[in-house]
Amino acid sequence: MRIGRKRIELLLEGKEEEVTRRTFFGTLGWSGLLLSMGVAGAAGFRFMFPNVLFEPSSIIKLGKPDSFPNGVTFLSEPRLFVFKNKGSFHVISAVCTHLGCTVKKLINGFNCPCHGSKFDVKGNVLSGPAPRPLEWFEVRLAPNGELVVYKAKQVEQGFSLEA
Amino acid sequence: MNRDVRYGSQTLGRLLNWVTSFPVNIWKSIIRHGYPDNDRDRSEMMFQNVFLHIMPVRVSLNSLKASFTMGLGVLAGLLFIILTITGVLLMFYYVPDVRRAYLDMKDLEFVVSYGMLLRNMHRWGAHLMVAVVFLHLCRVFLTGSYKPPREFNWLIGVLLFIVTLLLSFTGYLLPWDQLAFWAITVGTNIGRSAPILGDMISYLLLGGNIVGQNSLLRFYVLHIMVLPLAAIVLMAIHFWRIRKDGGLSRPEEDTFPLKPQPAQVFVKNPHKTYGLMMFMAGTSPGVDKGPDNTVFSVPHLLMRLLLLSMVLTLVITVFSLFINAPLEELANPALTPNPSKAPWYFLGLQEMVSWGRPIWGGVIAPGLIVLGLLLIPYLDRSKKGIGVWFSPQRKLACTLFVIFAVAMIVAIVIGTFMRGPNWGFYWPWQPWPY
Repeated sequence: MRIGRKRIELLLEGKEEEVTRRTFFGTLGWSGLLLSMGVAGAAGFRFMFPNVLFEPSSIIKLGKPDSFPNGVTFLSEPRLFVFKNKGSFHVISAVCTHLGCTVKKLINGFNCPCHGSKFDVKGNVLSGPAPRPLEWFEVRLAPNGELVVYKAKQVEQGFSLEA
Repeated sequence: MNRDVRYGSQTLGRLLNWVTSFPVNIWKSIIRHGYPDNDRDRSEMMFQNVFLHIMPVRVSLNSLKASFTMGLGVLAGLLFIILTITGVLLMFYYVPDVRRAYLDMKDLEFVVSYGMLLRNMHRWGAHLMVAVVFLHLCRVFLTGSYKPPREFNWLIGVLLFIVTLLLSFTGYLLPWDQLAFWAITVGTNIGRSAPILGDMISYLLLGGNIVGQNSLLRFYVLHIMVLPLAAIVLMAIHFWRIRKDGGLSRPEEDTFPLKPQPAQVFVKNPHKTYGLMMFMAGTSPGVDKGPDNTVFSVPHLLMRLLLLSMVLTLVITVFSLFINAPLEELANPALTPNPSKAPWYFLGLQEMVSWGRPIWGGVIAPGLIVLGLLLIPYLDRSKKGIGVWFSPQRKLACTLFVIFAVAMIVAIVIGTFMRGPNWGFYWPWQPWPY
């Protein structure tokens, strides 16, 4: 039994016969099958997204400001460069903005070994495929006098903390 | 039952008959055809054996020519079998745990008997499979074998090529060495560069925000279960479709030689139909034509298959005895190796990715290449030049394809031999600064 415009018009005018039992249950059955498959597919898709992650925190304690030497310190685990210029601190990410490799510190900038991006000492892109400058993270003094970096909070270039 | 009469006692005779036919009845319940020294049993072998029935009973002489197929499709299938066997064996000693995976690799290399050999065979087999599948794709294009009625099988073939690449990609992450770690990092960040869905794709692949335990487990399950199952289903369709599309492509005049002897031509009786009723439209293929240019698959195709599988196994085994698969240092998120290179078959991609925003080289360019490959048989619909290498009727198509293939190879050669620290360009004879 085809459902065309003509038939719908006839149905609306009440001239067409009501839906037969066979069509009704047929449509019901097929809809039920397709719907349940769709729901199962959606549930399976959602299943693949974990709700609890066992990953390191994005808030990192660095220790006392005095423990850092003047200049640059590379922290391997959180992949950060901590810059100390007398009493002022800023933190630049060591993760290349292109495809996530760890950049290397040169005397006056950074180099990415994977695809050849070059950055200046502030993280600005000098050449290569990197789309954005290296990220700067917020750094604060905790009440106990320790430096804390918030990797989830990006800050403007030139941000610094006097400590 | 003559024997019963001869022995006088029917009961004893039956018993003896029962005993003497004992092993034979088991054999006959399994193998239903006789020894294939006659045409009937050669046919029965194909009908009755589930493994052999992917082969036709008779095969075109053109399809058997090494110069036409170069055996590439068969080699790809055989490599899948070798990789399945070696892979399953490796699974007995490998645990996909970030704390153990690398140590298990070292154990396989230095502690487990024949572990090094199996790992080498698995790695080199995988490299060879990528090469063979790509060459097979080239062969099918350059002989015009994707043309009607084989369009859909070309599509399945392209999907199999992609599955092969994904199997390699997920496979070389498992050792959890530096190559593995940085390949995961770069690969999932390419996914992240996709528009809108990027972050979701990366979260889905990694099972989180960082490359860690969830990521290793996900790539392991993809490598040992999801992708092989996909490959098996696609291969089943691929092989089945070869049969349904009338075997491998060949020139029309090769199927029925142009000038058969008059006595060889089967002349149609006008009162008969010569149809396979309810199975095929039209008359049977041989009507009004000479004898077709085919031979029995047993022994001609079967023996070639066995010979190829022996040579392939020998080559991989000997190569693996002498050359060890590389294993880099333990994964270290703090230190990216310099230069950091993907395996050779992804260096073309890495080259493209190094040119600009990753979305161009990593998503759009490969996406267009795959889309282009998939659409080839639906765009080029001419039926000319089927079953011939570099047909003069397909000059443009062949030229374009050769340019594409050569460009891929050049990108791979540049990536392998001419990229140094920081992905800088160096001639092979130029020293690297460090």
